[in-house]
Amino acid sequence: MIVPQIVFWVMAVIAVIGGLGVIASRQPIRSVLSLVAVMLALSVIFLLLSAQFVFAVQVIVYAGAVMVLFLFVVALLGPMREQATRRLRFQWPLSILVVAVFGGFVYAEAQGIGFRAPDKVDLSVFGTVQQIAAGLFTTYLYPFELTSILLLVAAVGAIYLSRGGRTASEVRREEEEDDSPPRRGTRRGREDNVA
Amino acid sequence: MLQAVALALLLLPAGGALVLAVTALSIPRAAVRLIGPGVVWLGFVATLILFADSLQNSTPHDFTYWTWIKSGSFTLPASLLVDRLSVFMCLVVTGVGGLIVTYAVGYMDHEGDASYARFFCYMDLFIFSMLLLVLAGNFVFLIMGWAMVGLSSYLLIGFYYWRYSAVIAARKAFVMNVIGDVGLILATFAIFAQYGQTTFAGVFAALPKSDGFWLEVIGFLLLVGAIAKSAQIPLHTWLPDAMEGPTPVSALIHAATMVTAGVYLIGRMHPIFDVAVWSHGAAALIGTVTALVAATIAIVQTDIKRVLAYSTMSQIGYMFLAVGIGAYGPGFFHLLSHAFFKALLFLGAGNVIHAMNDDQDMRRYGGLWGQMRTSSICFLAGSLSLAGIIPFVGFFSKDLVLGDTFSKPGAFPQALWVVGLVTAVLTAFYTGRMWWMAFWGSPSKERPVEHPHEAPPVMLVPVVILAVLTTVGGLLQVNALVPDGWALVSRFLSPVVGVVGWPPSPYDLPVTLGTLALAVLLFLAAYNFYGRPVWRPWSAAVPWLQRLLERKYYFDDLYDALFVRTMDGAASGGDKLLEEPVIEGLPTDVGIAARAGAGELSLTQSGYFRTYMLVFVGGAVTALVLILLVRATS
Amino acid sequence: MPDYGQIQVGAGTLDARLVLGLAFILFLLGAVGVLIRRNPIVILVCIELMLNAANLTLITFAAQLHNLEGQLFALMVMTVAAAEAVVGLAILVDIFRVRDLDDVDELSELKG
Repeated sequence: MIVPQIVFWVMAVIAVIGGLGVIASRQPIRSVLSLVAVMLALSVIFLLLSAQFVFAVQVIVYAGAVMVLFLFVVALLGPMREQATRRLRFQWPLSILVVAVFGGFVYAEAQGIGFRAPDKVDLSVFGTVQQIAAGLFTTYLYPFELTSILLLVAAVGAIYLSRGGRTASEVRREEEEDDSPPRRGTRRGREDNVA
Repeated sequence: MLQAVALALLLLPAGGALVLAVTALSIPRAAVRLIGPGVVWLGFVATLILFADSLQNSTPHDFTYWTWIKSGSFTLPASLLVDRLSVFMCLVVTGVGGLIVTYAVGYMDHEGDASYARFFCYMDLFIFSMLLLVLAGNFVFLIMGWAMVGLSSYLLIGFYYWRYSAVIAARKAFVMNVIGDVGLILATFAIFAQYGQTTFAGVFAALPKSDGFWLEVIGFLLLVGAIAKSAQIPLHTWLPDAMEGPTPVSALIHAATMVTAGVYLIGRMHPIFDVAVWSHGAAALIGTVTALVAATIAIVQTDIKRVLAYSTMSQIGYMFLAVGIGAYGPGFFHLLSHAFFKALLFLGAGNVIHAMNDDQDMRRYGGLWGQMRTSSICFLAGSLSLAGIIPFVGFFSKDLVLGDTFSKPGAFPQALWVVGLVTAVLTAFYTGRMWWMAFWGSPSKERPVEHPHEAPPVMLVPVVILAVLTTVGGLLQVNALVPDGWALVSRFLSPVVGVVGWPPSPYDLPVTLGTLALAVLLFLAAYNFYGRPVWRPWSAAVPWLQRLLERKYYFDDLYDALFVRTMDGAASGGDKLLEEPVIEGLPTDVGIAARAGAGELSLTQSGYFRTYMLVFVGGAVTALVLILLVRATS
Repeated sequence: MPDYGQIQVGAGTLDARLVLGLAFILFLLGAVGVLIRRNPIVILVCIELMLNAANLTLITFAAQLHNLEGQLFALMVMTVAAAEAVVGLAILVDIFRVRDLDDVDELSELKG
């Protein structure tokens, strides 16, 4: 009887700690790993909520593929630590203020809203692969096909973007050899301190 | 047929002006020399045709070419009134005008091609406007001609537009002319309001037979127009300054034709003035006073053209006197005679000025009789005519006017006659002064040119023709000398303007002869002061008088202080208070504000991703809050 | 009135409000992270966190209403999230080739 409750609470705590880890870690690798933890916790909660297929997809695709991609990029880009900065000093208080306002408001609005009665469905097959497949290939065939096109677009875009321009050292070499007057507002312009 | 001739008469100079305006720089100078005077002479031929018809047939022709305005019961025809009076004026305009424009072919020859064509374009425009003025058959066209004549005068006075003095003089002439225009327009309004007519025939038929308040108002308003156009006191100050224009302009516009438009107006409107006796008398009074004042000022002028300008003012005063007492025929005879000898004097002066390298100061002339014989002879003829000495036409016309004034019963005409007599004497004096100073004696030490050459034929022939006309013109109307003699001009015009309404006095002839004697005497007396090698100006003894006359009775200073300074002050005040801050400032300030605002706004593009995100999220949250709040409260 | 907010989980019930509250908290955390963090990769990660919170909400309501559309929608969200992460990371890598980047505030040339 109380098993679902316990599972939920444990996973909830993991998720919240993971979320804090995401936003508070100094090193980006730790943020990524915290997100993985969050995703895994959420997937268990999905399972609790009769979303078996979604649980599987979350683990395999989201945590297993997308997050691995993030890890690869973090590994590629090397260690990056955020330095302390003096720019945009109002960003912290203002951001927290905005989010707090939003949060408070949504919470206030949500009071007094009741749930409506659930539909009558066969709960034994709710959330199963067959049900999801039936939905995706009949009623929601169109969005399904569109998402496949979306994925194609993303793949093409990624390949194009990663085709390779100049590396940083190549750019620096070209800038040193360049004799033309610096364009205003660019890095070269700023370095020369032209007004 | 005559209708077409009248229209052709109008359209020829207009066409000439248009052609010259459009083709000025692309046609050779010879073509300009042909077109400029040519259209005027063709107009003269057309006038002769109309003249021949009017000799046989004294009824006026009211030609309507089309109906210009038709609005309810109000119709305005485009009409020309061709009667003896308008034909008479056309003869003067095209005849004397033709001679002057031909003269100008030579006088203006040193100008560049563009200026040369521009000059004749303006002259043709003027001839057209003047013809429209005298031929108009209704008040609207009269006003059109009136205003266009003022415009032509402005353009021609300011012909040397790069000279500040010329531009100022043109402006002065135009502004004073406009005052007259306003008078004329208001008179037309009053006439239409009272009698509901705009054509001359209609108005004269609808006039009341007895004097009344409105009739006097109309008379005075018309008089304002006449005074401004004819340079009578108090609207006279523009005429001497108008001498800034080239000499042919002074001859044509400011001696022979435009300034006589006022006289024409009074003559044309004589049905009004015959009844509105107060404005009629005012015309005579103003004319006489102007004649005297102008004559006194002429005595101290040193510029030869200024002497002639003031003498024009004075002689037109005589014309106003004549038409003002009801002697229309003599008045127009004096107009014709003045056209002859004043044009002659101006053109002769032009010959001298031309030979003297454009120096107009008479004190630097002297001794021209020996060196420019033909011009000097012609100038002498003109001078004697102006002084009113037999046998020149000036004697016959001026003494006719004086005689008719003397003969008219009443104290007022007698008083006017006395003033006219004094003026005639003064006229002889200043004319003699001019002649002796400029043409006699030995050449002045300060002469600009040692051996002046006589004028070329194109400039000499018109002068000679005018001299001949001046000499024999008196034969047109001899009744000043011979009481029962013929009076061709008066008889010609009498169907239109009536006859002199009182018999000549028995003392008329002795008085005339006495006037003649005085004129001769004073002309010769001037030799005493100015003909000798060393002058003795009469005014040396009374310097205050000399100063008064030289300052033209301070009229110019008065007007300057009253009107010119005020307007200049208002204009510069308006510029500082209204133009700069508001009219210029407003758009400029809007532009500056827009740029500043944009500059400020562009600071929001900080380039920082986090700022953009914050604004984005903050904006979304704000929108959400507002929406939910609105929904909650409604 | 029965409390429809209770979801049957096997033999027990789970209060939907609790799950929704969790999703809410995660969403707010993600939002704060996007606005505050300066490392571009971490910003992308926080966006993913927000998307996950949204997914949780969808699944919760699907379970409460017994309506499968919620789950299908969540699948779509995941797909889109994947695509967007890929492209975003590719752009980041491209920028990183040209300059050493660990602060998104340095990318401020499009200013004024």
